Amino acid sequence: MRVVRPVAQRLLALGPVLFGITLLVFALNAVALGDPARAALGQRADPEVLRQLRHEYALDRPLVVQYATWIGRLLRGDLGRSYRQQRPVTEVVADRLPATVRLALAATLVSVVVGVGAGATAAARPGSGLDHALMGAAVLGISTPVFWLGMMLALVFAVGLDWLPVSGYGGGDLAHLVLPALTLGALHTGTVARMTRGSLLDVVRLDYIQTARAKGLAEGTVLGKHALRNALIPIVTVIGIGLADLLVGAPLTETVFAWPGLGRMLVAAVGERDLPVVMGAVLVFAVVYVVGNLLVDLAYLVIDPRTRAAD
Amino acid sequence: MAPGLLAALLVLPAPAAPQPGGAFRLAFGTDPPTLDPAQASDTTSSTVIRQIFDALLELDERLEVRGALAERWAVSADQRVYTFHLRAGVRFQNGRELGATDVKYSFERAARGKRPWVFEKIAGARDFIRGRSPGIAGIRTAGERTVEITLERPFAPFLYLMAYDAASVVPREEVARRGATFASHPVGTGAFRLAEWRHDDELVLERFPEHFRGAPLLNRIVFRIIPAEITRFNEYRTGNLDVTDIPTGYCRRVQRDPRTGHDVAIWPTLGTSAVRFNVERPPFDDRRIRLAIAHAVDPRVAVRGLLEDCVSPPRGILPPAMPGFNERVRALAFDPALARQLLASAGFPGGLGLPRVAYYYNTTELNQRIAELIQAELGEIGIRLELRRLDWAAHIMLVDDGTAGFFRQGWIADYPDPENFLTVLFHSRNVGAAGNTSRYRNAAVDRLLDEADAMPAGVARFRRYGQAEQLILDDAVWVSLYHYSSRALIKPYVRGLERSPLSSAPEFLAPLRKVWLAR
Repeated sequence: MRVVRPVAQRLLALGPVLFGITLLVFALNAVALGDPARAALGQRADPEVLRQLRHEYALDRPLVVQYATWIGRLLRGDLGRSYRQQRPVTEVVADRLPATVRLALAATLVSVVVGVGAGATAAARPGSGLDHALMGAAVLGISTPVFWLGMMLALVFAVGLDWLPVSGYGGGDLAHLVLPALTLGALHTGTVARMTRGSLLDVVRLDYIQTARAKGLAEGTVLGKHALRNALIPIVTVIGIGLADLLVGAPLTETVFAWPGLGRMLVAAVGERDLPVVMGAVLVFAVVYVVGNLLVDLAYLVIDPRTRAAD
Repeated sequence: MAPGLLAALLVLPAPAAPQPGGAFRLAFGTDPPTLDPAQASDTTSSTVIRQIFDALLELDERLEVRGALAERWAVSADQRVYTFHLRAGVRFQNGRELGATDVKYSFERAARGKRPWVFEKIAGARDFIRGRSPGIAGIRTAGERTVEITLERPFAPFLYLMAYDAASVVPREEVARRGATFASHPVGTGAFRLAEWRHDDELVLERFPEHFRGAPLLNRIVFRIIPAEITRFNEYRTGNLDVTDIPTGYCRRVQRDPRTGHDVAIWPTLGTSAVRFNVERPPFDDRRIRLAIAHAVDPRVAVRGLLEDCVSPPRGILPPAMPGFNERVRALAFDPALARQLLASAGFPGGLGLPRVAYYYNTTELNQRIAELIQAELGEIGIRLELRRLDWAAHIMLVDDGTAGFFRQGWIADYPDPENFLTVLFHSRNVGAAGNTSRYRNAAVDRLLDEADAMPAGVARFRRYGQAEQLILDDAVWVSLYHYSSRALIKPYVRGLERSPLSSAPEFLAPLRKVWLAR
């Protein structure tokens, strides 16, 4: 199988990438101001407790030793314990993962359905008023601040109209997912719409599309059946990277909608200097990102037979 | 419905007798880091801990000491020995009966936790905390239900410490069984027990029917974790929260809005927001520079303009709601002319020759605006201010280690006594992270505080604190900006929610067992 080798190569590259990322995060933490033990103690800190806590967190040991210990544990599958929550980091991260995955998938679904639809519609009549309106909306979607958009959606649809819940996970209830998914999806919807339009317009100029038209096929069939499939590669790239992006978390959306996801947790952990959680979460994100990109590449193989032959 | 009938319904008097049942819904800004009384160091955790656990005593709305696990207590003539008699038949949520040894175990465990200062007045506690003795010598059990605590020296507010959540009583066997996970699987004697905790989402407590005072009125308490204050406010408006805090900048608006106006509750709390100097760091080692700044800052502008008159302007260091608050203590007055004179006498007429001064504060919108205000006010007398905005962890580090020379800091009392303000914040023994971040060393102040700390409760003791407070204010090591108040929206059907000065929205440290819903 020609697929096996590139996949194996990518997976092998994962090791050094992850090592580099953890080293970077650890180094950034080491140079950042703030002491995890001090941050855990509130405003009034007993010097003796501070000393004991620094010892307990192993912060009184040389940085190299701290990092080596962390890597050593990691190799045994142990991400350590949260300073703040006194629970294993794996548990802390696993707690938030379902909410994050749900939100990322829903936001991606929004961006694919709305984005591809809007992009294809715009591409069908390039230069028309509709095209300008849709692409204008796309730019608006990309550039609207997430926090503001989330607040406005909540004000209109939750507080004003009372159609949807204001915030929260709602134990997995679908209604709770709608506004966060729309908010988070808005950004990528714009990107996907613009990419779909651009990519389709590139393809429709090609000869085989002219042939399809010459055969007398309806414009919808030409675009939907012949052009879209060939325009998919860049679109899939945007969607794939977007999904990885969303999985890595959306702290602002999660904050506005009180969504118990990973992004918000990571931001809080950075603020509290909860180093084991920060390291563990970043590691998980890095894996998600690299694997996400790998899946995008694999998708090419399915969509475009030429990528299979070229290797 | 006929209009007449509707009107009749509206004028029906509220039921007088408390109604049991229902779920009380509140929100926190952050997930509580821990539910272990020994490990908590924040008010969010304390709010939940107070519902799940009991201490020997508790404070009521008027800050008076009431029995909790202890039904009565006695103090020796020399004010050093406290004897607590525990109630009979108190059960932990695992069914076991509470005994005197649980108290000793819990106190020793918590003394080696995050808030050792709650226990350090007990004889032998310091040695124990430092690992130099196997137990706290001053805690002795006498029989099944009597605990005798001996202090190093008399300490009038000691009973308050016994009402503090760090002094909650925990069952040894559950701690042993759970280890570190006791923090997320707490077992106490409290009126509520943990039912469910989905981190960053929702924490649910349910009534503990066998509570020694009888089952509480509420069936459940639901703490939603909602980080954005505007989202909490929206949840309140849509009826999904029974209580919430008022978002920054909304204080006047909610008072005027007919939909929320009747729900507004504002009450003073035991806290003061201030700016402080590190008196060891030039140019703030020069008292005239500190005085110049103190006279150039007008706190009333911040109180009116930024805080919408929903907090009170500063009187001194101690907030007016604090027992022992002294009417005669005077803060330095706003006087820009005097400020200019002082600056000139320090060798910097009109600020000439004075390098830029750095002002440190932690990131919040309010702190940012206050910093800009101070910058403008000091600019008026010729002091150029450079703003250093940092997150909390970085800010507290630079404040503790003395890097910050001029910085924002507030203080909210843990218990209602001046000692918890003045001794913690200004005694030379506490220089640095322990509280005296001004690094202020004044032998006269130390002496007054030492005397007052060991005196029996009463006017003479409070007078000592007042003298110390005036000395500190006159030395301009701390400039009060305003006294905190709690600003909450409370639905009209919520009854029995105490508005103690120690409690503030959204962290209601009050006992929620007293709450009921008149719906």
